[in-house]
Amino acid sequence: MAGILIALCIGLPWAGALLVWWIGNDNPRWQHSLAVGFSAAGGLAALALIGLRSQGAGLSLKVGGAFGDFSFVPDGLSVYLTAIATVIGSLAVIFSIDYMRGEEQLGRYYALVLFFIGSMAGLVLTNNLFLMFLFWEITALCSYGLISFHNDDPKAVAGGIKALIITQLGGIGLLVAAILSYSYLGSFDTNLLLQKAPELPANVLTILAFGCLAAAAAKSAQFPFQTWLPDAMEAPTPVSALIHAATMVNAGVYLLARFYPAFAAVPNWREAVMLVGMISALMAALMALAANDLKRVLAYSTVSQLGYMVYAVGAGGVLASQFHLLSHSIFKALLFLGAGAVIHAAGTRDMRQMGGLGSQMPFVRTVFVAGALALAGVPVLNGFWSKELVLEAGLSGGPVWVFGLMIFTAALTALYTFRMVWMVFFGENRGGLHAHEAGAAMKTALAPLALGALVSWLLAGPFSRLLAETLPHHSIHALPTGEILLEVIKAPATYIALAAVALGLAAWWWREKLRLFSEALSGILWVAAHSFGFEAINRGVVSVTNDAAEDLRGSQTGLLNWNVLAIIIALVLVLLLLALGA
Amino acid sequence: MIFSLPNIAIVVVLGLFGVGLYGVLISRNLIKVVVGLQIAVKGALVAFVLAGRLSSQVDVGQSLALTVIVADTIVAVVALALAVQVRRKFGTLDIPSLTSLRR
Repeated sequence: MAGILIALCIGLPWAGALLVWWIGNDNPRWQHSLAVGFSAAGGLAALALIGLRSQGAGLSLKVGGAFGDFSFVPDGLSVYLTAIATVIGSLAVIFSIDYMRGEEQLGRYYALVLFFIGSMAGLVLTNNLFLMFLFWEITALCSYGLISFHNDDPKAVAGGIKALIITQLGGIGLLVAAILSYSYLGSFDTNLLLQKAPELPANVLTILAFGCLAAAAAKSAQFPFQTWLPDAMEAPTPVSALIHAATMVNAGVYLLARFYPAFAAVPNWREAVMLVGMISALMAALMALAANDLKRVLAYSTVSQLGYMVYAVGAGGVLASQFHLLSHSIFKALLFLGAGAVIHAAGTRDMRQMGGLGSQMPFVRTVFVAGALALAGVPVLNGFWSKELVLEAGLSGGPVWVFGLMIFTAALTALYTFRMVWMVFFGENRGGLHAHEAGAAMKTALAPLALGALVSWLLAGPFSRLLAETLPHHSIHALPTGEILLEVIKAPATYIALAAVALGLAAWWWREKLRLFSEALSGILWVAAHSFGFEAINRGVVSVTNDAAEDLRGSQTGLLNWNVLAIIIALVLVLLLLALGA
Repeated sequence: MIFSLPNIAIVVVLGLFGVGLYGVLISRNLIKVVVGLQIAVKGALVAFVLAGRLSSQVDVGQSLALTVIVADTIVAVVALALAVQVRRKFGTLDIPSLTSLRR
C-alpha cells in the first residue's frame, strides 16, 4: 500500500507533466485543469502517505548489481517533505492559473513544474544515494528551465545558467559522497551509511561529511554559494514560491539533517555547519535590508532563514531545524505568492514605486502581513515557535557568540520585514500605481497558506512524534505539543529573541529619529547592496574560465589527423598506466 | 633463428600497422585515410593469428581474425559511403577544408 502511494507521489506529477506537454498550447484551459488535477492528486497521495510511514522500504526496484536497489523509504523526514513538496506544489499550480493566464508556452511551464514536484518527492523519499543524486540534478535542471522560462530575456537566461552551474558544482560533493560510500560499504543505502559511519576510516568520513556540506550549501544558497538565489528571481513568481522558497532550496537542509548522526562526530564538521548557517543568515539579512526589489528582499530572507535551519542542524537540533523548515515553507510560500499577486497587479517589482497598495488589495495585504509577522518571529505565528526552538537548540549546542549573532540577525529580520511591508502596502502611493485585487485562483492558493502560518505550530507534538518514531539514528524525543510550547515559553532565549524582534520593530518605527545612526550604518549597507563582493568574485571566476577556454581553443583543430593522433596518444597512455599498475 | 615464423609475423604486423597509421595521420585525402585504416586493421588481423599461435589457441585466434575481416569490411563500406556523401555535399575530400571550427 505504501509502495503504491510512493509510486503515485512521484508518478502522478510526472504523468501530468507528460500529458500537459502532449496536449499542446492550443488548449490552455485543459492545460490549467490537468496541471491542477495531477498536482492536487499527488498532494493527496502524499498526505495519505504520512499515515503509512515506516522505517522499512515501501517500494524497492531491483536494478542490478552496480546501483543497488532503487528503494524508497517513507520515514518521518521523507513523508513530511514529500507532503510539503506536493501540497505547496499544487497550491503554486493553482496560483499559476491566474498568474500565468494568457502566457504562451504554458505546456513547457506546467511540464517543468510538475516534473519538478515529482522529482522533489523522489529526492526525499529515496534512500539510495545514487538515485538521490539523480533526483538532485533533475530538480536543478527543472529549476534552470523555469528560471529561464522567459527565454527571450537575457537576464532570465543568465540567472538560470548561474543557478545551474553553482548548484551542479556543489552536486559534485554529493556524487563524491555517493561513490565513496559505495566503494567502502559496497552499497548506496543511506541507512547502512548511518549505521556503519563509525567504522569508516576517519579521513574518508571527513571527505563524505564536507562533500555533503558543499552540496547542501550550494543547493540551499548558503555561504559561499548564496549568489545564485537572488538572480533566480527572474523566474515566474509561483516558481519562486515553490522551488526557491518552499522546496528545492530545502534539499540542502534535508541532506544535512538526514546525515547528521553519521557526520556529527567528524572533527570541526558541526562548527563548520554552524558557521556556514550563521554567516549566511547574517549576510543575507543585511542584504535584504539594502535591497529595493520586492522579490530580491524575499530571496535574501530565504537565504537568511535557511541559514537558521543549517545553524540548528550544526548545533544538533535536527527537530528544531525541520520544524523551522516546515514553518518557513508555509510562510515563505505565502509571502512569495502574495508578492506575486502584488507584482501581477502593479506591474513592477521595485518597492520604491509601490506604497499604499494595502487599501487597493486588502485581501493580499492581510495574508501578506500574516506571513510577514511569521517571518519576523512575532508570537503566536508559526515562525515564532520554530525560530525560538532553533535559537534554543543553538544556545544549548553551540558557542554563545554565534548565538548572539543569530539573535542580532533576528532583530535585522524584523527590521527588513517591517520595512518591506511598509514600503509595499502602507504609506503614500509613490508610483501612483493602480493595483487590482487578486483573482479567485490566487485567493484559493493564498488562504490555506495564511491559515497554515497562523496555526501550523499546533502540530509541533505530532511532528516530533512523526520524526522520532521512524528515525532510529537521530535520537529525537517525541513530546506532546503542550510540552514543546511550554519549553519555549520557559526558555530565557525566547525573551532575548523577543526583545531583539521588538528592537527591530522599534528601529523601523523610529527610523526618522535614528537617522544619524542609520547614516553611520550606510557604509555597511552599501557593501551589502553590492553583495559583499561575492558578485565580483563570480564575475572574476567567469572571466578566468572564459579566458582559459579561449586559450585552449588552439588545441581543438577540428582536423581528422590531429584527432586520430590524440586518440592514439591517449590509448598509449592508458596502456602504459595499465602496464605500470599491473 | 631470427627468420622464424613468429619473428617474421611480428615484422609484418608492425610494418602493416605502421604504414596504415602513417597513412591515417598524414593523408589529407579522405579516401586515403580509409585506405590507411584498412591497412592498419590488416596488421591487427595478422596479430590475432600470431597471438593465437603463440598462446596455442590457434582456433580462437583464427576465428577472431575472420570476425575482424567481416567487421572491417563493413567499416570500409560505411566509411567510403560517407566519403562519397561528403564529396557530394561539400565538393571536396580535402580534410583541412572540411573543418568548420574557427581557428
